[in-house]
Amino acid sequence: VSRLRRRLASAGWYLLLTAVMLVTAVPFAWAALMSIRETAANPFPRNRPAQVLPYPGLVGWGEGLREARATGEYAGPGGWWRDYGPEVRERLEGTRLEPYTFPATTENYYRVAQDIAIGRYFMNSLLVALGAVALTLLLCSLAAYPLAKLRFAGRDVLFIVVLSTLIFPEQLILIPLYVMAVNVFGFQNSFYGLILPFAASGLGIFLLRQIYYAIPDELIEAARIDGASEFGIWWRILLPLIRPGLATLAIITFVGSWNNFLWPLLMLSDTSLFTLPVGLSYLRGFFSGSLRTVAAGIVIATVPIIIVFMIFQRQFIQGLSGAVKG
Amino acid sequence: MSTKPLAARTGRSLQARRRTITAYLFLAPALSFLLVFFFLPLAQVVYYSFTDFNLYRSNWVGAANYTALVNDPLFWLSIRKSFIYLLCTPILIVLSLSLAIIVNRSLRGIAFFRAMYFMPAVISAVAIGMIFELVFADQGLLNGLLRGLGLVRISVGFLQDPNLVLPSIMSVTIWRGVGYYMVMFLAGLQAIPKELYEAAAIDGANTLQQHLYITVPGVRPIIVLVGVLSSIAALRAFDEIFIMTSGTGGILNSGLTAMFYLYRQAFVFNNVGYASAIAVVFSLIIIVFTLINLRLGGAR
Repeated sequence: VSRLRRRLASAGWYLLLTAVMLVTAVPFAWAALMSIRETAANPFPRNRPAQVLPYPGLVGWGEGLREARATGEYAGPGGWWRDYGPEVRERLEGTRLEPYTFPATTENYYRVAQDIAIGRYFMNSLLVALGAVALTLLLCSLAAYPLAKLRFAGRDVLFIVVLSTLIFPEQLILIPLYVMAVNVFGFQNSFYGLILPFAASGLGIFLLRQIYYAIPDELIEAARIDGASEFGIWWRILLPLIRPGLATLAIITFVGSWNNFLWPLLMLSDTSLFTLPVGLSYLRGFFSGSLRTVAAGIVIATVPIIIVFMIFQRQFIQGLSGAVKG
Repeated sequence: MSTKPLAARTGRSLQARRRTITAYLFLAPALSFLLVFFFLPLAQVVYYSFTDFNLYRSNWVGAANYTALVNDPLFWLSIRKSFIYLLCTPILIVLSLSLAIIVNRSLRGIAFFRAMYFMPAVISAVAIGMIFELVFADQGLLNGLLRGLGLVRISVGFLQDPNLVLPSIMSVTIWRGVGYYMVMFLAGLQAIPKELYEAAAIDGANTLQQHLYITVPGVRPIIVLVGVLSSIAALRAFDEIFIMTSGTGGILNSGLTAMFYLYRQAFVFNNVGYASAIAVVFSLIIIVFTLINLRLGGAR
């Protein structure tokens, strides 16, 4: 009996967990469903069930989309399209599934790929994010070491100076930073302008200082007695030891840079340099009439990051909870 | 000190000086970045706020920007909108703590659920704003459901009705943040000793009482942390507002938070001086608010 009760209890938990998961997953699924719909279709016809099950409709890639729409098929030098809609509809007719189905199409994806350099935006975002991670890790791991482990004049003052950057909201420095980036450094339409201004992070220095702090002083003393230079100690002994902290900071920096929108929006006007969020916003304006094509752009932009996240989800979650504990 | 031989004394001070130089060499790169890209702009924004700086001129105007600000109804409207936006914070705390309690148990596959709840946090607010445009649209998921259930006859204009624009966008901010803050609470929950709950159960406390008297005090530091982080995030929310109002700030300024007003004055109207005054006043409000939060959380 107690086993049955335990089973029931865990079934209840799974039910609750799944219900909550639907809240996070359904909007994504909805975007995916929209992206394979024809532009004019209404998923919620009057007095009939919602159409949510896709069957193959107008499928293909390349030129000939318009011809295929008119004649049902196109196979030319530059492309291939075929409309499976009528056939499948015939087979579905009278079945119980029929009212729930709609013809799926690849045309939205074709349009996005045709008009928007989304692959390029992707590479731009990756380049900027990797550059930001490399520079931030270097600057913060260098600066945090003396703040945690060396005794020198002015240490406490400097630590307070670093901490004070955390209290000032980002929007306070946004305007002069923009003026400086444009007038002094000429950062407009360059990736330096996206990477350099936020490379030294007070949060990153603070985070790594906490981790250096936990390393026993004896280790460093022993290395000094062995005649290692301070730089050598940092590079060969300490950096390997703070790897978990570096991973956390890398994840936070990568996600922050990858998702950053306002700053790249201000810095970039050359469409070939757009990062993914700016490119998505541009795509949204470009296809403003067609939500379905916009949905295809969203899917192309989010699926890779979802896959990366699913592979590294453990590191992501442990990294963040590590940062909280530290 | 003075009894020590001279050589040892100068030796020590020489060593101390060398250590100081080493320390500053390690610090120099980061400090110079902070100086140029943080502290210099910090001083400049205050200076700009006393000028009529735009792209063509820059004259000292004294406190004129600030007196204009006080008499600007749109500024006060935007401050009010930002404070409404702050309602995200208590909702986020309650939801993410509850969710953390739910996923803080050893069930097979629990890591998968945690990952699924966390996932929205790694996706850009721009993409999420666009996804929710599809959800809130006329023929979108939400209106479809509401009509299907017979709750409404005509589609609800979630992003068109001036009264609904801000709550709709706030719900997206909340939806995106819950999993993120859940992970923070999870770290706190796992630090609470299990014996406390066992002892309370023996004393006859039910689940709700256990969570009220053990969990909530146990994660108090995390509540403060989440409170500070999520209120700062709420006050500077921009991406989802920009996307879901098509860059306009919403019909009848319905989505015009202080952050968005700052953006509009600085980068649409090029009133850099005036926008700097907005930035200064708004930031002071945020800083005072954060300090109050920390003080309330720190004081037992």
